[in-house]
Amino acid sequence: MIKKISVLLLVVAVLSTTMIGCQSKKDKDVTITVFQSKVEITEQLEKLAKEYTDMTDGVKVEVWGTSGDDYATQLQTKLGAGQGPTILSPGVGTTAESISGYLYDLSNEDFVKHIAPGMEVKSKDGKLIGVPYGVEGYGFVYNKSLVDASQMTDFASFESTVKALKESGVQPVSLSSESYFLIAHILNVPFALQDDPEGFIASLNDGSKKMSEDPVFEEWATFMEVIRAEGTNPLEVQYDVQTGDFATAKTAMIHQGNWAYVMFTDYNVDFEMGILPMPVKGNDKISVGIPNSWGVNAGASDEEIEAGLAFLNWLFTSEEGISYIIDAFGFIPAMTNMKTDSLDPLGKDVAHYTAEGKTLPWMFSLWPDGVINNDFFPATQKFFSDKDMTGSELLNMLDAAWEKAAQ
Amino acid sequence: MKKSNKKMWFAIFTFPTIFIFLTVVVIPFIMGIFYSFFEWDGIVLHEKKFVGFGNYIKMFSDTRLGDSIWLTIIYTLIAGLIINVLGLALALLVTQKLRVKNTLRTMFFMPNLIGGLILGFIWRFIFMEVFKQIGEVTGFDAVFFNWVLDERFALLAIVVVSTWQMAGYIMIIYITGIQSIPGELLEAAKVDGAGYFQRLKAIMFPLLAPAFTISLFLSLSNSFKIYDVNLSLTQGGPFNSTEMFAMNVYNEIFSYKNFGYGQSKAVVFFFFVALITLVQVYFSKKREVEM
Repeated sequence: MIKKISVLLLVVAVLSTTMIGCQSKKDKDVTITVFQSKVEITEQLEKLAKEYTDMTDGVKVEVWGTSGDDYATQLQTKLGAGQGPTILSPGVGTTAESISGYLYDLSNEDFVKHIAPGMEVKSKDGKLIGVPYGVEGYGFVYNKSLVDASQMTDFASFESTVKALKESGVQPVSLSSESYFLIAHILNVPFALQDDPEGFIASLNDGSKKMSEDPVFEEWATFMEVIRAEGTNPLEVQYDVQTGDFATAKTAMIHQGNWAYVMFTDYNVDFEMGILPMPVKGNDKISVGIPNSWGVNAGASDEEIEAGLAFLNWLFTSEEGISYIIDAFGFIPAMTNMKTDSLDPLGKDVAHYTAEGKTLPWMFSLWPDGVINNDFFPATQKFFSDKDMTGSELLNMLDAAWEKAAQ
Repeated sequence: MKKSNKKMWFAIFTFPTIFIFLTVVVIPFIMGIFYSFFEWDGIVLHEKKFVGFGNYIKMFSDTRLGDSIWLTIIYTLIAGLIINVLGLALALLVTQKLRVKNTLRTMFFMPNLIGGLILGFIWRFIFMEVFKQIGEVTGFDAVFFNWVLDERFALLAIVVVSTWQMAGYIMIIYITGIQSIPGELLEAAKVDGAGYFQRLKAIMFPLLAPAFTISLFLSLSNSFKIYDVNLSLTQGGPFNSTEMFAMNVYNEIFSYKNFGYGQSKAVVFFFFVALITLVQVYFSKKREVEM
């Protein structure tokens, strides 16, 4: 009998250890969870969370992180299982739209009044679902001692600049091999230069237009031919090599954005730099957009949502919060209530273009899911490894990929 | 009393395993089959559209999937063969009377301890930088160039890396097989005047048949399921020329967000692996001899 009881106890013990995970937490204080994807700011965000907890006396902020690549997948799993974080990064464009059902409508909150015009992340039904992290901009990051900006205003002057640079023994221009750096960013330019970019995407989706039949894309393709002929082979160049070559003045221009500046801090860069537009059809604007946004999980409990909103409000309006965003995270703010002079040279250039209204929107966030990595990227790899392939053949491949992905 | 007691202990000790097996293998598998009949983007709030066998029919016109299946079959054949030949050769080597045999065993086995992802990244560097350098210095640039960026050689690059990883593991199985062969049989054959290769062919290979069965099973199923090395070494590139079955499934689900369609591919993937390995085990078993 005693044996039987002891066995029974053992069973209970085994079962209860497996159940421990299911016990509910104490609900005395509110805990809000922040799930974010930018590895670079993890430490700062944790410090901020601690400071906020101390300040509010009991509102605990928990930071969850992951590497950028699988963020969407993890987020989707967590939301689907009903264990979503309070504050999350829904992204922008199609990514944000796809999970908009989970996102709290921020329209009535105070802090969203400061979002710069056109920078709100909205769902199709007009709900304000995200506050931008900040803005980022890209174009040709160039070495001012090697390139004369006034000599790069259209296709002909771009070509002659590049050729002259090559003759003088410098690598004139370089792309790098990662999918967004190789094709997504640069292909954004002809999209954004359309009269009605969103309408253009819609007509690509229904098949009434093609990239290969559009004059802007045709000229863009000739740029790509020049870059292939005169520049380094991008398939052999990774981001760190690309930025390293630029920082040591081996390369005159790289197609990158203000985020690349952190890569230069390891080098003693002794030249001035700036960002130049890709002058397709005489374009003088650089691509500026929102890399990501903050949103609130509508599925969280009411008090969690309330605490989350209070946290965001503090982050975007209080002095401490703003100083975190600008100085600790190093973001270029997309809010009108934040002014800064402490930006790095590339950040300043982006801010300058933004102030002058010389910006192109980021259209690639509206492209079909997966098309960049799975189709555009391989097509561009083919273009750069097969020297006989023409720019219009590249456009045909991109068209074919779009048609398949838009189904 | 005694018998029921035994049963109870049996239940207690197998319960955790069965519980885990059920929750992480069986139930998700059944759910996966269920989802494969729907068109769905993976977001719980969004509607699942029932399409019956639509997803399975769609696969027949998916040329990219077809290409990746062919590629996987070709890869499996090449890699399976090389891994086994090399594994056996290494096993034969380290069962000789060598002073360094234990060191050698460790060294050959070592790559298997490194994860496929890490190995892939290391070898990516070797192909991209070291190979290129060697080619430039020695002039043998027909062999030493960046394999990862070449359509035909990228697959071979994966074969090289996965062989590097797996041959040592297969070697261990063959060593066990070789050591279980009674020494007097080989001794007797030697006395009768059989040369090394004769002994190998007439005595060792037939008696190694069980080891062949296991090794072939492991190398074939592992090669067919390859994902980690594929991802870290080539990412399916250049221009999708090395996108294998598992990667195609992953991309369909997590890149294109076609959860239903991708899931149906995964189901087909499962039956493919099961079929190939069952056929292989059936034929290998037939060759096994009783001592």
